[in-house]
Parts: sequence; structure tokens; C-alpha cells
Amino acid sequence: MQALSLSPPLLTSPPRSLRRKSSNTFRAPRMDRHARISSQFAPLLHRDLALELASLMESRLGSDLLPSSVPDNVRSFQNQSGTSFGSLDIRYGAPGSSVDFLLESWLHCKVPTGAIDITTLLVYQNDSTDAPHFNLEFIQAGPTSLVLLLDLIPRRDLSFCPDYIDTFYQGTNVDKPRQDLEKLPQVVPYRSPSLYIRSIWSPTAILVSINCGEGGATKMEEIIKGTVASAAKEVLGIWLERCFGTGTGTEMGEEEREYMIRRDRVVKSKSIEIDLSANLPRLFDPDLANRVIAEIQKACASHTWCVMSSAQLDTRLLFHITLAATRRKYY
Amino acid sequence: MQALSLSPPLLTSPPRSLRRKSSNTFRAPRMDRHARISSQFPPLLHRDLALELASLMESRLGSDLLPSSVPDNVRSFQNQSGTSFGSLDIRYGAPGSSVDFLLESWLHCKVPTGAIDITTLLVYQNDSTDAPHFNLEFIQAGPTSLVLLLDLIPRRDLSFCPDYIDTFYQDTNVDKPRQDLEKLPQVVPYRSPSLYIRSIWSPTAILVSINCGEGGATKMEEIIKGTVASAAKEVLGIWLERCFGTGTGTEMGEEEREYMIRRDRVVKSKSIEIDLSANLPRLFDPDVANRVIAEICTKSTFQLGPSLGQLGPSRKF
Repeated sequence: MQALSLSPPLLTSPPRSLRRKSSNTFRAPRMDRHARISSQFAPLLHRDLALELASLMESRLGSDLLPSSVPDNVRSFQNQSGTSFGSLDIRYGAPGSSVDFLLESWLHCKVPTGAIDITTLLVYQNDSTDAPHFNLEFIQAGPTSLVLLLDLIPRRDLSFCPDYIDTFYQGTNVDKPRQDLEKLPQVVPYRSPSLYIRSIWSPTAILVSINCGEGGATKMEEIIKGTVASAAKEVLGIWLERCFGTGTGTEMGEEEREYMIRRDRVVKSKSIEIDLSANLPRLFDPDLANRVIAEIQKACASHTWCVMSSAQLDTRLLFHITLAATRRKYY
Repeated sequence: MQALSLSPPLLTSPPRSLRRKSSNTFRAPRMDRHARISSQFPPLLHRDLALELASLMESRLGSDLLPSSVPDNVRSFQNQSGTSFGSLDIRYGAPGSSVDFLLESWLHCKVPTGAIDITTLLVYQNDSTDAPHFNLEFIQAGPTSLVLLLDLIPRRDLSFCPDYIDTFYQDTNVDKPRQDLEKLPQVVPYRSPSLYIRSIWSPTAILVSINCGEGGATKMEEIIKGTVASAAKEVLGIWLERCFGTGTGTEMGEEEREYMIRRDRVVKSKSIEIDLSANLPRLFDPDVANRVIAEICTKSTFQLGPSLGQLGPSRKF
């Protein structure tokens, strides 16, 4: 893996919002994120790892990304009592880039049993390539319990396209980090309660729940700094090298490209709808959640895609709230 | 589940092969299978369960199936020393049926560590419907170790068709038997070494390895007769009721149907190529294996790759 390098500072014009918490037209992105997140959130091992990966991602994507245009009150939000807070940032791909957007989400939520921290790093690619998207998610409920979802999300119907599997999953040996992780006795598979979410993963997806039991905080630290960090860096490295950038996509006919565009649309709206949008209203005040969700919908709605009605959202929320109440799962 | 009923005896014309071990133009299918398998193979719990399920399947599919036309030396084969033997039967769907074929495969193979028994029950549906295929497979290596693969195999690109997931997987509650099975402490997930095979399963597929450890034969018996049998009957029941027969498919446009036909072709050839064709030559003599594979290949519904000599990675048990 490359050593982390500071991207040159970006000169940014003032964001659209008139009410800005800090007036700052000169930003060094890496320091900005690291400082911002570290000051807002309590220290947490998985967050440190995610910060490292997010920086690496951003520095490698570099000029492929436009500056962030997310309003400050989405970049940093909290509930009324200040016990739960979050940060969401979305950077869109520059013209000519294969990147659709890079999404980072940092959430810390106080719950009756303690706290939940959910960290998401997501890169969706656009229709100039059929190479996989990148998805990383940590869900931590306490110092000894961590769910990790790490995958190169396929863009094509794998059963119909065995060559796609060979190119991106077999030929890259991306199954190895998953095998390493699943050997650990503290690791069991994690299954989303949503059948749709289960269907989007690749055959090599890392979908695990790591439990170190009471008094196992040291063990958890060891695992995060060790096997989890290796796996995450290995998968990110494979994505950066074999899935991102010009020439990494496979040859596609016009019909195949059309199909992929339609397919991406469904995957994006449904999975982000179920995933991120289901959590926020559960854990934050409705108007705050709506504000953040609106920003997410913008990312999904680029190129005139479907936008969820609030009625649709409510039904899903009810479903997930009920699910969470009975099964303590966070999706 | 329905009580098992005997299908009326089928009148069959003599099979193509001139060298027949038993000349029998009058067959009561259920007794034929049960008697045939029980006489050929050593007793094994999972086989008893599979016999029960195969009978149930055949009696429910009834007149949707044509009689078997598999030659006797494929219906029953063995290696040179007689230590490994198998039976393969394929029955094609009758005209107007949604069934493409029903495949049953029974294998018993002596290996250095003891023996492996592989039992497969597979129903593929044709292009008159997009309802899932049915797949059941037992792989047993010893009395305390069993792999179970049980699934309603999707016919469509699930990420693109969330409604298909709702119709066949969400509304049918077919995830429940999987949850029941995975609660058992002896159960861990099984992953195929083939990434392609991993990609064909549904989100509710039962893909498990059951290990009862040394001295755990009684426990294994309990699990097979209990949770495994329930799960298998539940999934088969859901398939028979919600996936088989007229009216169970969803509405499809012409383009969608065309896509499904092409997709089915790839799934069928690749998965049967990797799955069955990878095992046989490893466990039997080449000429026996080739004969059996040829039976699967020669029918027009299968189009295996040109290089049968190129076998998929060997399955690790």
C-alpha cells in the first residue's frame, strides 16, 4: 500500500448554504477530515482504520473527484440532545472520470444499550465502466462486537457473465482476505435481514460479525489492527488497481451497457435506501434525517433517476424499526 | 406434506441399449427406485430421506414427466473394482409441462479416508415459466459429516428484479428453514471453491456443513431425521406449491423471456459441468465417467463446453 500523501490544498468557492459554521475557503482535505472527525467523534479503533482508508482512497482518486458541495449542516449534524451525531460527505466524479461519487458517512448514536457507531465508505462508478463498485462498512455496538461488510459490488448478472467473475474476482484473488478473516474463531457470517441486500454482494464478499465476548476488548483491538486492517487494505488495493481508472472495465456491447445502466439505477436506489436511509430516522430526529437523506437522494437521483417519496420511506422505516426492536440488527 | 402415493405403473418400450441387465417392460416407478437404490447402495440416512423426497417429487410431478430413457448402463454403473458405484436417471418434461427435466444422481465412492456418498435431486424448469429451479444435494463423507445444498435457484438477475425476490423468496418465507438449520451448533456455512457456483444460489439458500465430531453418529442421525428432514420437506413443499405448475411464473415481456432463456443455458451448462462433471472422473474410471457425462450432454437441452477434458477445480470436502 502507498504511504499516505497529502493532496494539494483545494481552493474552494464558498458552499451554497448561507449559514456556515466555519468560514473556510482554504481546505487541505486530509487534515480537514482527520481533524474534523477526530474532534467530533470519540476515539474508536475502526474509525481510525476507516480514516486511514478514506484518506488513501481520496488521495488515489485525487483529481477524479470534484470538491464536496454538501452543506455544512449535513457535513456535520446531531440530534437535539447532542447524544447522537454524524457526518456525511459526498464528492462527485469529475467529468471524464469513471467515478460517479465517493460517499463517506460517520455516525455515532446513543442507544439504550450503549452506543452504535456506523462508518461507511462507498465508491460508485458510472456507466463509462462495468468494473465493480467499492463498499466498506463498519457497524460497532460496543468494544467487543463489530460487523464488517467489505465488497467489490458487481455491476453485472454474474450467473450470466462467468467471464466477469474471472476478471474481477477469480483473477484478482480477492477471495483470500475473506478466507483469512473467516478462519478466526471470533468470526461468524453476518446476514442482512433484507433479502435484496443479500442479493447484491459478490461471491467473495466479506460479511462478518466479530465477537470477542466480555472482557475481549484487547482481543478486538488485536483483530482490528491485524486481520481486519490487512483485509480492508488488501481489498481496497485490489479495487484501486484492478477496478478503478481507465481500461479496467470489460468490453461491453451497446445492449449490455444499457442493461447495466438500468441495473445500476435499481441497485443504487434500493440499496442506499434500505441501508443508509433506514438507519438515520431511527437514530436521529426526523427533520435532521430528512435533510441528510435528501443529500443522499441527490446522489442516487443523478441522471434523472428515481427519487423516493416520503411515503415509501415511511413504510421502509416502520419495517426496519420493528426489525431492529426485535432482532437488534442495524439494517 | 402429502402422503406418498404410488404413481400408476408406466408402460415403457425397451431402452435403446441392447445389453440390459434386467428385462422389464412393466415398472412401478416408486418401488423400482426404492428397491433399486436400496439393493445397490449401503444403507445411509440421508439416502433414505432423499428416496422419500424423490418419490414425493415424482408423484407430484406425475404426468408432467416422460418415462426415463436413460440406458441401463448409466442407470447403474460402477468402477472396475466395484468399490464405487452410481446411478443416474433423467426424466424429461412432457409437452406442455413447465418441467425441463428431473435429474437424480446417487453416488457411492470408496476413497482413501473411507467413503463419500453424493446424492442429487434436481428439477430444472423450461422457458414457459420464470419460477425457480429446485436443487437438493447431500454430500456425506463418513457418519458424522454431511454437506447439504438446498435451494430454489433463481432464473433472473435478482439485483435487477426485486419483485422476483418478493414473490419467490420473501412471501414464501423460505428463509425460515435456513434459519432453523443454522441455529444448530453443529452447523457451519459451506462455500463452494467455485466462485461461479457461489453466484447461482438464492439469498435464502441452505448451504451448510454439519459436523458432529467423533462419536457423534447418534447426534447426526437425530439432526438428519429432525431439522434436516423438516427443512428439506419445507423447501420442497414451497417449491411444489409456489414454483411448479401453471400460473406460478411471473409476467415476462418478450425481451425478458429471451434473456432468461440465454441465462438458463449458461447456468445449466456451467453448473452441471462444474458440479457433476468434476466429481465423476475423479471418483470413477474415465470411460465410465465419460459414458455418464455423455448421457447428460447428448440431450439437446444441455450444451456443455467443448472441452470436457477441462474439468473444474475438484471439490474439497
